[in-house]
Amino acid sequence: MGTIKAVFDYTLREHLRHKVWLGCALFGLVMVASALLASALARDERARVMLDLGLAANEAIALVSVVFLTVHLILQEVESRAVFLILTHPVKRSNYLLGRFLGTLAAVGLGMGAMGLAHWALLRLLGWPVEGSYLLAWSCSLAKIAIMGALSLFLSLALTSEAAAMSFSVFFWMLGHFSAEMRFLAQKSGNALLGAAITAFSHAAPDFAHFNYRDAWHAGVPDPGWALAAAVYALAYCGACLALAAQVFDQKEF
Amino acid sequence: MRPLAAAAAFAAAALASGAAMSARAREFPSLSELPATPFTLQDASLASFGLRAAAADLAWVQMLQYVGASLPGLPADRPGRPYDHLLTLALRVARLDPSFHRSYLYAAGILGWFRGVDRPEEAVALLQEGIRRDPGEPLYALYLAALAYKQKGETDRMIALLESAFEDPRTPSQMKTILANARKARGEYAQALALWERILETPRDQAQHARARLQIAQLKRLMHPASPLPSPPR
Repeated sequence: MGTIKAVFDYTLREHLRHKVWLGCALFGLVMVASALLASALARDERARVMLDLGLAANEAIALVSVVFLTVHLILQEVESRAVFLILTHPVKRSNYLLGRFLGTLAAVGLGMGAMGLAHWALLRLLGWPVEGSYLLAWSCSLAKIAIMGALSLFLSLALTSEAAAMSFSVFFWMLGHFSAEMRFLAQKSGNALLGAAITAFSHAAPDFAHFNYRDAWHAGVPDPGWALAAAVYALAYCGACLALAAQVFDQKEF
Repeated sequence: MRPLAAAAAFAAAALASGAAMSARAREFPSLSELPATPFTLQDASLASFGLRAAAADLAWVQMLQYVGASLPGLPADRPGRPYDHLLTLALRVARLDPSFHRSYLYAAGILGWFRGVDRPEEAVALLQEGIRRDPGEPLYALYLAALAYKQKGETDRMIALLESAFEDPRTPSQMKTILANARKARGEYAQALALWERILETPRDQAQHARARLQIAQLKRLMHPASPLPSPPR
């Protein structure tokens, strides 16, 4: 536990010193632009457009940050040989991996928190009531980002190429939002084998289509059972990816 | 626990919780149900990046643009059919996000009540889709009833019904102007004036405030011919 915390601390410090806060500045610009756009074009739906664009921008910037950071997270340390210094200490490889992942997630989460707070404050300042749970929408975005972080960490170790890992991460992100369509295709395929293959693939990709409270916000309050299942799903999916990443990392020879 | 065994246990938990989650989640219409428009690629791209609500917002803005002037990329309206593509554009918004109440109501208002448009069957189709995909919104049924009164020529009952929803925050401001104009066309200037004044007092109807000022001045002049002429809205 102590080693995980030590790795977590230094990872968080490293990220805060470097890149994550640039995302916030970018988000600020996007938010102001979206506010202007909303005011000028959306007429009766100014609040809705402002809300949706702000949440979407928050998630998009967090996605870019987390994929970029986690793909480089271990590979760069291997390349620069900094990883040898750490692993010569009594640090288990899986603990090192977990500490690095959690530190990165915390840094991106802090950035998302700052962006969310600014967005929420701007909505309140403009006098547009936020109906529904902003915190739930933000938490779902954070959980999606955590899943993508774990998945891209695993992909970076398994593929050992940053470009390939980033491409596959984006591919899985898009596939995740098509999970409902993939199951529909599996039902309509007419071929049991093909249907089973598509279903298996749709389960292997993260199920973001049913996870996205941000998109379902305007339909009202979700079922509490859904929120609980979504939380367990996010933890389990992250756990599976991290365990696979630990397996690959354990087998690596430096 | 070995990492592979842990991964298998986590994967099993993810499968079980994923099934529970998808069973309780809100289903969106499949992308194949989107009406064919020149913007299908834009909609599919945004949806694939998980930005379905934002795609619906963009589609809404494009629909407003079409109603206000014209939308580049869309074929011109057929002669004698103003707002020819409005139903398609409203269905596009509604199928991207079925809970976009105002899209159904706004387009149904134009199709059912705008002078020179008069395609109530399209308004009915849109409102019925709203009832099916977005249950729990009472204004769809109210608008359907108002359309039925209109088709039967029972204008008094239609106006009374629509006025009962005048203060509802979900009522599009454009529908309020339709109602005020209906009063004016019937020579009921005092009632029309009261409606325009309510529009002017409502911050969320800001888009119609300039028009409301002009109409209020015109109605006052009609009611009291000695009143000065209004200045055009800026």
